Amino acid sequence: MKRSIVYTGCLIFMVVCLSAMSGNRQTARPLKPDYPSYFGNRINIPADNPLTEEGVQLGRLLFYETKLSANNGISCAHCHQQKRAFTDGLAFSTGVDGTLTARNSMSLANLLWVRNFFWDGRAQGLEAQAQTPLTDAHEMGQSLAASAQKLQKTKSYPPLFNKAFGTTVITGDHILKALAQFERTLISANSKYDQYLRGAYQPTAAELNGINLFFTNPNPAANVRGAACGHCHGGPKTFSELFHNNGLDSVPKDEGRAAITGQSIDKGRFRVATLRNIALTAPYMHDGRFTTLEAVVDHYNEHVQQSPTLSVFLQKNQGGMSGSQLGLTASEKKDLIAFLHLLTDTSFITDKRFSNPFINN
Amino acid sequence: MKTGRLYVFLLLASFSFHPALAQVKEAPAFIKVSGEVKTPLQLTLADLTKMKAATATLKDRDGVNHQYTGVAVQDILDKAGVTTGKELRGENLAKYLLVRCADGYEVAFSLAELDSAFTDRTVILAHEIEGKPLAAGKGPFRLVVPGEKKPARSCMQVVEFVVRFGKE
Repeated sequence: MKRSIVYTGCLIFMVVCLSAMSGNRQTARPLKPDYPSYFGNRINIPADNPLTEEGVQLGRLLFYETKLSANNGISCAHCHQQKRAFTDGLAFSTGVDGTLTARNSMSLANLLWVRNFFWDGRAQGLEAQAQTPLTDAHEMGQSLAASAQKLQKTKSYPPLFNKAFGTTVITGDHILKALAQFERTLISANSKYDQYLRGAYQPTAAELNGINLFFTNPNPAANVRGAACGHCHGGPKTFSELFHNNGLDSVPKDEGRAAITGQSIDKGRFRVATLRNIALTAPYMHDGRFTTLEAVVDHYNEHVQQSPTLSVFLQKNQGGMSGSQLGLTASEKKDLIAFLHLLTDTSFITDKRFSNPFINN
Repeated sequence: MKTGRLYVFLLLASFSFHPALAQVKEAPAFIKVSGEVKTPLQLTLADLTKMKAATATLKDRDGVNHQYTGVAVQDILDKAGVTTGKELRGENLAKYLLVRCADGYEVAFSLAELDSAFTDRTVILAHEIEGKPLAAGKGPFRLVVPGEKKPARSCMQVVEFVVRFGKE
C-alpha cells in the first residue's frame, strides 16, 4: 500500500515536471509579421529566432532599457527615436563615453527585408547588428555578459525571458534575439504612398509628377523626363539593399564598404538607404552632411563628384537630361520632394506597439 | 650636384612608394564560387586568364555592339564541380545560379540556361572589352548575356556565383 503511494507520488511528480518543461517551450506564441504583398516575401527571420508575441514584447522593453548601457543613461532609443522614424536628428550621435559615432544613426523601418546591416553592410542579420551598438565603447559601452547580469538582478526581467525563451537564465544571446525580434516588427507600410498603392489616396498633380520622375530613367532622345532614383531606391519599399558610391567626394574620407571587403572597387561605397519616412530622418548621408531634402536632390542633380569608384549609374555616360548633370528644373525638384513627403508614415511614428513602454502615454 | 640628384631620387621614390603602400592593403580582385559545388573557388584575373577564353557580343546601353572576352560561365561552374552537361538532369534541373555584384545587385539563371547541353548561347564572365580591361565601375568582371532584349542580367562588377536548389 505504502509502496503504491510512493509510486503514485513519483509518477505525479514526473508528470508535473514534464508538463512544466513542455509548458515553458510552448508559452511563446508565434507572431506572423503583417505587411503588404507588394513588399514581397524575401524576408529574413533566422530559424533559431522565430518571431513570438513574448519575444517581441521583451525586445520592445530592451530597446528602451537604459540598463543596457554602461552608465545606465542611454538605450537603443537614444539614437533611434520613434518620433523621428527611429533616428536622432543629429549628424553623429554621442555614446556613453561622450565621443561621437563615426557615422549617422540609421532609420529603422522594414528591417525584415535587410540582410546586411550598417552603412557598410558588415553585419549579417539583426542579431549580429545589435551587438555592436550595445558593446562598442563609444556607444552603449557594456558587454553582453554585464547586461545579462544587470537584468538578471531585476525582478521583472527573468520571468519575461522565461516567457520568451523558456528559461529564467538571461544570456547575451537572448538579449540580442529579443531586440532583433522587436526590430523585425518595425514595419512602415501606411504612408500616403502606400494608401495610393492600395487605391485609398489620390495624389496631387505635383505628387504624381514626383512619382513619375522618381521611377523613370531619363531619355533625352525620346524627350522622357526622369530622375532615375528608382534605379537604386527600387520598388514600393524604396529599398533593394544596394551599396554605391554616390559621388559625395572625389576622394572619399571614409572608405565605406572597402574596409569590409578589402576590394578597391568598394571605396566610398555605402548603403543605398530606404527612403521610407525620409522627410523625418534628416540629416542625410552616412555623415549627415545634408540637412534638407532640397540639398540632397541638389546633390544628385548638379553636384555629383567624379571618382574612380563613383557608381556607374551616376556617371556622365548615363545620359542625363542636361549633359553630365541630371538637369531637373526647379519645379521638378519640388515635385520629387513632394513624392518623398508621401513616404512619411504618421501611424508608424505614433504606433503604441513601438513606443517607449516605460512612459505612460 | 650629387646631393641634388639624391633629393630628386628621394622625391621620386617617395611618390612611387605611395601607391605601392596603398596596394598592400588591397587584395587583388576576385570572384567567389560557392553553394552547391564540390569545390568552393576564389578566382582572380590571373586564374581566369589561364582558362579557355570565350567571347560574346553584347549591345550595350549605347546601342553599339561590343565584343567581350572572358571565360564561359559553364567552364567556371565545371571547375567548381557544379552539375553541368551530362549531370544536369533530374533534380539538378531545379538548381539556379545567383550572380552577385559588388553593389549587392543579384540576378538568377537556371543552370540549364547556361549549359551547352541545352543552349547554343554562351554566357561569359568577361574581363575585356575589345581587348582592353573593362572600365572602372563596370569591371574587373562583368557577366555578358548575349541575345537578351535588356542588358539587365549582363551585370557589372561581379563578385560572386552562388549555386542553389530552388526550394519552396
